[in-house]
Amino acid sequence: MVLPEFDPLVTDPRAVARHAHAMRRDVVRMVGVLGQGYVQQGLGAADLFACLFFAEMRLRASEPEWADRDRFLLSTAHNSALFHAALAERGLIERVRLDTYCVDGSPLEVNVSQRLGPLVEATCGSLGQGVSVGLGMALAGRRRGAPYRVYVVLGDGEMQEGQVWEAAMAAGSFGAANLCVIVDLNFMQVEGHTDRVLKQEPVAAKWASFGWHVESVDGHDVAALCAALARARAATDRPTAIIATTLVGKGVAFLEGQLGHNMKLSPHDTATALKALDAQTEATA
Amino acid sequence: MSATQEDIKIGDFTSRGVVPRVYGDALLEAARADARIVCLSADLTPATETDGFRDELPARFHNVGIAEANMMGIAGGMAGCGEMPFVHTFCVFATRRPFDQVAMQIAYPKANVKIVGFLPGLTTLLGVSHQAIEDIALMRALPNMTIVEPSGTDQIRAAVRAAAAHDGPVYLRMRRADAPLPADFRERELVIGRAEVRRDGADAVIFACGAMVQIALDAAAQLAMRGRQVGVVNVHTIKPLDVETVIARARATGVVVTAENHSIIGGLGSAVAEALAEAGIGAAFARVGIRDTFAEGGSTPYLFEKYGLSVTSIVATLDRLWSSHGRA
Repeated sequence: MVLPEFDPLVTDPRAVARHAHAMRRDVVRMVGVLGQGYVQQGLGAADLFACLFFAEMRLRASEPEWADRDRFLLSTAHNSALFHAALAERGLIERVRLDTYCVDGSPLEVNVSQRLGPLVEATCGSLGQGVSVGLGMALAGRRRGAPYRVYVVLGDGEMQEGQVWEAAMAAGSFGAANLCVIVDLNFMQVEGHTDRVLKQEPVAAKWASFGWHVESVDGHDVAALCAALARARAATDRPTAIIATTLVGKGVAFLEGQLGHNMKLSPHDTATALKALDAQTEATA
Repeated sequence: MSATQEDIKIGDFTSRGVVPRVYGDALLEAARADARIVCLSADLTPATETDGFRDELPARFHNVGIAEANMMGIAGGMAGCGEMPFVHTFCVFATRRPFDQVAMQIAYPKANVKIVGFLPGLTTLLGVSHQAIEDIALMRALPNMTIVEPSGTDQIRAAVRAAAAHDGPVYLRMRRADAPLPADFRERELVIGRAEVRRDGADAVIFACGAMVQIALDAAAQLAMRGRQVGVVNVHTIKPLDVETVIARARATGVVVTAENHSIIGGLGSAVAEALAEAGIGAAFARVGIRDTFAEGGSTPYLFEKYGLSVTSIVATLDRLWSSHGRA
């Protein structure tokens, strides 16, 4: 298989971080309108998404159904404010559509749905399914000699679903090198801290034991994430799991570390959060 | 391993000796003609007759291990990238176990996946864990799903062709050949959504599927000796149901029996009852099938007799309907 030349849209980590910042702003705004939602996860994973959508994945805003596009699967489909914000930031949907997020009749649903169109590769609101679907896409690409890679964002609480490990075992066995799972290790699930529910460590060793190349990185270090993604691309005999440690609520001081799965966000808190994000923009401008 | 009658009788997921591989050959034939077809198995490759595919087209075959939920997700992903996966396991492990994965990754996106389940109903001695008595009900409840059950070995090849030609999810409820093909073996056609009238009769109609089609024909033949003319319709496509044929035959006879190797709840009997009730047809009606109970491990003839999947049961049911509707 000959991979096309890697040609990222953005290479400067500071530029990637600026996109992450813009997405955070959209996440707060979108959840703020609803008064409740997945704001913590969105803020936490914004740097991951910015790296993937701007510095890694080959996508065409002018041709969303491009056959050789890299595949992106959001196994944690409820992290939807961020996902839709990323699509808008990348120019894959019009930004004005973010205003329809969770509005009755809108395809921008709270659990990302294929109703939105070809940019949603699978409907994953039922947790644990994304890696399996990603593996199917990777195997299809490999057989057909297609150049695309498959990226799956997986939650850490989601690893409690047994199907994740069925897929991990199969992908390792099949040497699906065109598959890259990014574990959003934010230590949060519905009932609080993941360790209060089930012990999840050692996470990296688990994936390695299934035959995966493993990268452990700070999920807010854009340069480190990009480097890990580059090493994933260089792995030719096995899939890669990037274990990205993230902080829920990242970027808004009073939200950082607050374990709220589907958290209330009052108009006051929304305004305060947006003000804090805007202050950062001015500081870096 | 030498083939013996004992192998054929007890080895329903291992060696079956000299029995023809009608399904496996049909799949290979379809795959040679259509490069999109790929084959997935969950550690039941010989039992689902896909070892021939594995050996001839290894790049298009994956044994994903004993992990059916993962298999359904993989199939959905492959279909999203242009493949046409045929996934293989036993009916229970294709429906009851990975129901959510089938719903979300195959039915909802209308993925072009063919789910092929073996050991329908009580055709296995492996007991309740392996007996699919509610698989049709489960698959019927899923939007976008087409359900096909060939009436016998003679309709397997047509079922595979029809499934491959159909763009979208299909549940193929498959029963392997369990005996050498007869000398006068003739294949039957199958058009999805068009029920096949196997016998005409003015006194009653039996809508049957799968293994119950032959049993219904045998019951009709027995009743004919008593002067009763009973029609038999092979409803090989349970969804979408051929409502037109169901209504026409019910109207013409006024006495309707359904017969299925499945629970009486949610399967063919329910589908026919819904169609008749919604059309306002007030026919005498009864369902022959597994009567809302789990079964047990045992030979197919024993189980079919014990759980009422028999000529005796169909005849008794029709006699009861004729009697209670003043047509004795």
